Amino acid sequence: MDRRNFVKLVGTASGGAVTGACGRQAEEIIPLLVPEESVPVGVEQWHPSVCSECSAACGTLARVMASEREIEVGGELVRQKIAAVKKIEGNPLDPVSGGRLCARGHASLQSLYNPDRLRSPLKRVGPRASGQFEAISWDDAIAEAAGALVAADPGRILFLARAREGVRSENIARFLDAIGAPPATSIGVGDFAAEREASESVFGRSGLPLYEIQDSTLVLSIGADLLGGWVSPVLYSRRYGHMRQGRRELRGRLIHAESRFSLTAWNADRWLPVWPGGELALALAIGHELLGEQGADAPASVVSIFADVDLEQAAAEAGVPVEAIRQTASELAQASAPVVVAGASMVRQNSADAVAAAAALNWLLGCVGKPGGVIPPAEPLGVLGRRRRFSGDWSERLEQAAVVLVDGVNPAYNAPASQRALADAETVISFSPFLDDTSAFADLILPDHDPLEQSLLEVPPVSPTPSFVAAGEFVAPLYDSRPIATVLSELAEAAEQPFEELTVGQAVSTLYSALGSAGSETSASDFEARTLRVGGWRGQPSGKPPATPGTLGPFEMAPKQEGIVLQAYESPQFGSGSGANRPWLQELPDPTSSALWGLPVEVDPETAARLGLVNGDNVRIRSEHGSLEAPVYVNPAAIPGVVSMAVGQGHASYGRYASGRGANPMVIVGDGRDETTGCPTMGPTPISIEKIAGGARLVQFSRQDRDLPPHRV
Amino acid sequence: MAKEATQQAEGGTERTPQWAMAIDLDRCTGCEACVLACASENNVPTAGEDQAAMGRTKHWIRIDRYYEGEFPDIKVKYRPVMCQQCDEAPCEPVCPVNATYQNAEGLNVQIYNRCIGTRYCANNCPYTVRFFNWFAPEWAEPLNLQLNPDVSIRPAGVMEKCTFCAHKIKRAKLDADAEGRELADGDVQPACVQSCPAEAMVFGDMTDPDSKVARQLGSGRSGQLLESLGTKPRVFYLEKAD
Repeated sequence: MDRRNFVKLVGTASGGAVTGACGRQAEEIIPLLVPEESVPVGVEQWHPSVCSECSAACGTLARVMASEREIEVGGELVRQKIAAVKKIEGNPLDPVSGGRLCARGHASLQSLYNPDRLRSPLKRVGPRASGQFEAISWDDAIAEAAGALVAADPGRILFLARAREGVRSENIARFLDAIGAPPATSIGVGDFAAEREASESVFGRSGLPLYEIQDSTLVLSIGADLLGGWVSPVLYSRRYGHMRQGRRELRGRLIHAESRFSLTAWNADRWLPVWPGGELALALAIGHELLGEQGADAPASVVSIFADVDLEQAAAEAGVPVEAIRQTASELAQASAPVVVAGASMVRQNSADAVAAAAALNWLLGCVGKPGGVIPPAEPLGVLGRRRRFSGDWSERLEQAAVVLVDGVNPAYNAPASQRALADAETVISFSPFLDDTSAFADLILPDHDPLEQSLLEVPPVSPTPSFVAAGEFVAPLYDSRPIATVLSELAEAAEQPFEELTVGQAVSTLYSALGSAGSETSASDFEARTLRVGGWRGQPSGKPPATPGTLGPFEMAPKQEGIVLQAYESPQFGSGSGANRPWLQELPDPTSSALWGLPVEVDPETAARLGLVNGDNVRIRSEHGSLEAPVYVNPAAIPGVVSMAVGQGHASYGRYASGRGANPMVIVGDGRDETTGCPTMGPTPISIEKIAGGARLVQFSRQDRDLPPHRV
Repeated sequence: MAKEATQQAEGGTERTPQWAMAIDLDRCTGCEACVLACASENNVPTAGEDQAAMGRTKHWIRIDRYYEGEFPDIKVKYRPVMCQQCDEAPCEPVCPVNATYQNAEGLNVQIYNRCIGTRYCANNCPYTVRFFNWFAPEWAEPLNLQLNPDVSIRPAGVMEKCTFCAHKIKRAKLDADAEGRELADGDVQPACVQSCPAEAMVFGDMTDPDSKVARQLGSGRSGQLLESLGTKPRVFYLEKAD
């Protein structure tokens, strides 16, 4: 669906959906939720939706057509006509996706139609994590869950939720307020806690800054795999494309500093391999050199953090040659529109400091609020203010919790140390649509609808214009699941606590009032109708929010660790591991190793040669936190001594495509934290490697890492 | 160029579009969004681990990636590769039943119900972009609900490959007809082109000088894969500008 056609269809449809197909002239009024009997065979409808795979909140379009499924009625199999989603594409009117979509977004369809979705509420009947459950009715499930909540000390109720901002998180917040429990927290996955913390100190504003790389002439990214899986991969890929070839006679350049040869490093003109944890030292060293290059025309608090840096020491701790640092600083100083993208795709113990130091380089370069520079975060929108924040002590609170509620996160997988607390908690209630690593610990699973089956409203963490994305319901739920807001409402009612659910419609109306002049609509109901028809609201760019650096530093560089270390990372296909139950993603070649249906341990050629390892050999990796076994991929681009492994496999429980497949590197990484935010780190962790016989096989799409010599005719 | 670049239509001359694709490798990030967009659009089944280990996955489009140099001066060279829709396609003359041929618009088409599964075409394709169905495809219920009714499911024993989303081309023509206008540049967007986040892929009529694809071909960076083989692909790669 392209912009021209979507705009045309939106203009002709008067209901909540737009129809296309052979007769694109169709002007039938289609209610938001399409009754099965009114889906014409062969005619497509496009419904705005919101991608829920990562935290970027891309606006999407779902292609809906008539389909059939077999269901059992009274012991007989009958064919039921249903409206089915056939494809997900980007919404061309959405400022984040711009009509484009990443691989994970496409595969969200396989969450909706995953054969391992839970069909009804479940109650645990065997030991925790044994996977033994029985189906129960919603009435019984609500009564039991409410009973546990009423019996518990509200202070010992812990709600672990996704790092999203929207109606869903607002309802969770309202529910917790109603029952007197503390606010929900994420588990630090996909939350970008270090980046948010750094934004407060560097720009004096909460939220995530927006990097205007599409207009830059030189981009230096430090620690941010912006094309792989960082804050908003589709938005930044679009901007990257424009930076390279979207301007006449002007091609922007990219220098990327990271401890892994990520997708962003693939695309960089120059990759600066940084020792894991050395990102802070690198940023300080570059800042120090920039001060020498162009003086100190920057706020004093910024200048002070770079003034006394020992270049030689910083270079040694970053693992980057002094000459490369000088060259990078010199190129930045000379560039007409430079910008430094500061991120922590792999969280370290000093990530908040590292991101702050890297982001502060933009003050030295004078590009804060400038074209091609960085735009500090804008004010939050209306009622959906940023209420829910990451709480660094979530795992300590988990240990003390009487009732644990889990929505959209998987602590048993992403933070394996939490399994003990999950096993010991008095009551664990999960809203997961799948029997995953964490819901396996639950006493009750109250399965949520799939995101494509419910109305949604989300505020993207970064967007070129102030915006939110919204979707109405358009396909009936496949199973006996319920949206979380309904369940929370029922729980509050059963617990006799006042709770007022915020619907998407109400949120849109409230935002209409808060936004003042929201467009051409003259009433909240017109605004709501249009919002749901086009998939959200997009305002005018808010200009340049004022920014002032707060107190920065002093930053202490961490000494470089000796010996072999392991770092875990989120891959473009699996993210934090939630993508592993989609067969499309399992069969999508891993960009680094070309692995399918499994993820290898990536070892550098030097270490591999010393240990006698070749592709497909199996190794046992040990750290003080645990051990794992996995096949080896000898990565020609790995830093000597730095072993990497993508997160994604190694689920104890996650359906037929993911369960028992491969290993989870978080077992090795342990429970280290970013010292400022408390966000769980992804290494580096000292390890030992030992070659073992047998083990899992390495299945690769392409076994060939090097091109053949030029063909001769 | 296709055998018939133009055709006489009733009442006048109607140009037959000559479809081509340009992929700007300076924009492409290698993210593989195109790979899944294609699988979703074209009902490309997954093979499973065991078949994948035997090299039997079907990826109508893939990202070829090769490392060059040694750490730390290492680079990776990558490009999306799909059926190159060659004008001089090596797969065509070896098919004993004419199941694959070039149509008037330059598409290298594959007629599934004509194919008898000799696999000669795959043997003869230098780009290894043809895939044989060793088994009937399976989707565990209810994954079958995701299937696109516009694209046929290929049974066991036949060859399949990228079609340049021929069904979308047909659909765009029907839409243009219904609106009483000619097909415009950009009306046809194969799934990979539509999805590409970096907007690296452009599709259109290469004989229309005003089309985006024609302009890309004239950019000075354009080349073809294994050009020396003389296959004359319809997929053009714009090399990195560095």
